[in-house]
Amino acid sequence: MIGFILADLRRFKGGALAVIVLIALSVALSVTVTLQERAVRLGSARAAEKFDLLVGAAGSETQLALSAVFLQPAPLPLLSGGVLATLSNDPRVAFAAPVGFGDSADGHPVVGTTTGLIAALSPALAEGTPFARLGEAVIGSDVPRRIGAEIKPMHGAADEGGHTHTGIVYRVTGRMAPTGTAWDRAILVPIRAVWQLHGMAATEDHDHDHETHVDADTALDEHFDAETPGVPAVLVKPKTIADAYRLRQEYRGEKTLAVFPAEVLTRLYATLGDARGLLLAIAMGTQLIVIAAVLLVTIMHVGARQRQIGALRAFGAPRRAVVAIVWGELFLLFLAGFVLGLALGYAAARLISTALTATTAIRMPVEFAREDLSLGLWFIGLAVLVSILPALSTLRLSPARALRS
Amino acid sequence: MLALDITGLEMRFPGLDMPVLSIPRLQLAAGAQLAVTGASGSGKSTLVNAITGLEMATQGVVRWEDTNLAALSAGRRDAFRAAHIGLVMQDFHLFPGLSAFENVVLPARLSRRLTPAARERARQLLETVGIARPNQPTETLSRGEMQRVAVARALLSRPGVIVADEPTASLDRRTGADLADLIVRLAGESGATLVVVTHDPVLMDRLDRRIGLEGGRIVEDSTEAWAA
Repeated sequence: MIGFILADLRRFKGGALAVIVLIALSVALSVTVTLQERAVRLGSARAAEKFDLLVGAAGSETQLALSAVFLQPAPLPLLSGGVLATLSNDPRVAFAAPVGFGDSADGHPVVGTTTGLIAALSPALAEGTPFARLGEAVIGSDVPRRIGAEIKPMHGAADEGGHTHTGIVYRVTGRMAPTGTAWDRAILVPIRAVWQLHGMAATEDHDHDHETHVDADTALDEHFDAETPGVPAVLVKPKTIADAYRLRQEYRGEKTLAVFPAEVLTRLYATLGDARGLLLAIAMGTQLIVIAAVLLVTIMHVGARQRQIGALRAFGAPRRAVVAIVWGELFLLFLAGFVLGLALGYAAARLISTALTATTAIRMPVEFAREDLSLGLWFIGLAVLVSILPALSTLRLSPARALRS
Repeated sequence: MLALDITGLEMRFPGLDMPVLSIPRLQLAAGAQLAVTGASGSGKSTLVNAITGLEMATQGVVRWEDTNLAALSAGRRDAFRAAHIGLVMQDFHLFPGLSAFENVVLPARLSRRLTPAARERARQLLETVGIARPNQPTETLSRGEMQRVAVARALLSRPGVIVADEPTASLDRRTGADLADLIVRLAGESGATLVVVTHDPVLMDRLDRRIGLEGGRIVEDSTEAWAA
């Protein structure tokens, strides 16, 4: 039986290949959509894990979360430095770290912060030591620099017409272990260096025309008070979950904003989920069209081969064998297309994830899940049904009529 | 070696007033050899379809020994044909992509009746019909060889009846004569009842009885001619 089917498929190689490719492409589309959505969701959820509570100036919750978690460059309103000081001294807070962004170097975001945040992101450094002076920097695992290398920060980003700061050159003293988050691409520097560089330190004159020179050898000072300059965001690690909710409640006001990044992301995923639903519906739609096209091809194929089918019956092949041949042949095509589509879809999702990881540093895990099994079974079930129809239709005609056609 | 007994057979096609075939009575003894002749459109092929069960009889009885084909469902007619009737057609109907041997055993294989004994018989039959290389792909055979493979296929299940529809019509004279020889000889050896539709006088002369069809009716029967 299988020998006959294969001999037959060899005779209709071109058509068989076209059908397989058609099915494979439509399956690949659904597979990619499903896998990619899951990869983005899991990847960004893991990226947000380390950020319990964010406090910023009143504004967009989403922008605050995206900027701090994914280091997405965007101008954020500054939060008064006093808030940072209050948070640092709050007994419910394990640590509060400023996050000051806006500068970059070779496309890598330069973020002003404290050693507390470095310890939270990478409890043990991959190499070197945390910064101890204003002119020192710690780099994320994906930043292609060596320990001891010099980094010249640029205001804004090169592609938006930023200018290079002349006030300071950082020296790399340490590298963090990989975190799988956007912070792997970041260059972490002391927040006070950022303030001074931008002429924001309380002791300096505010003059933007002249670059403020920063003394790179000044020792680190991570105590903040009411005189502390403003920061775009403060990352807060509350001691307990109850503290987290209380703090969020307290800092939600007219001047400040407090968000759980995970919650903001969940809301974004809901939107993303809708988009996935839409894409998946489109993918399913294409699949239906493809199945209809395949059905048409099959009916024509069966029609063209009525003589052969009639002959099979005339020479004593039982009807179930004829049905099995036509059905088996079609099902084999469906199955081959399905398997090829799975492979293609997986490869495409991997490719997209790799590209996304290269630009965002967020690791996106492409993996199949249990619920995919039911989707696969659905497809196979549908394929069985769709391919059995033309097979059964071959029985309607008497073998004599089939032979004459 | 089944006897044929036809009573009141009528074959009609939708849209035609007249039956395309109407045979009040036709009997054929077991092991007899019958030639069916007639112009095209005289109902020869319809007769073949009726006695092989390829088409349902509109009316009447087509009895091979105890089995009335006209009363069987399509599936049972297929099964009866597979078990008792060896078919040889004008266009061979071999399946390209399969070897001569695979073509001979294909019906048995598809009905899961392919025993080692049947394989052996297939090899012997191919030798008997003169196919030297059983593994040769069918599409590379000559037309005469193709029809020989078809004859071997028809004989595989040791049918009690062999029905051949214009078996030599698409062959040249020499090849056709050889093939006519082969069919008649093998049918005789196996004792199978033989029905051959043919225009070929060489083939007709070898068979003991001949009927002529015209407009779907028997207008000539060599047995009756002798009797008269």
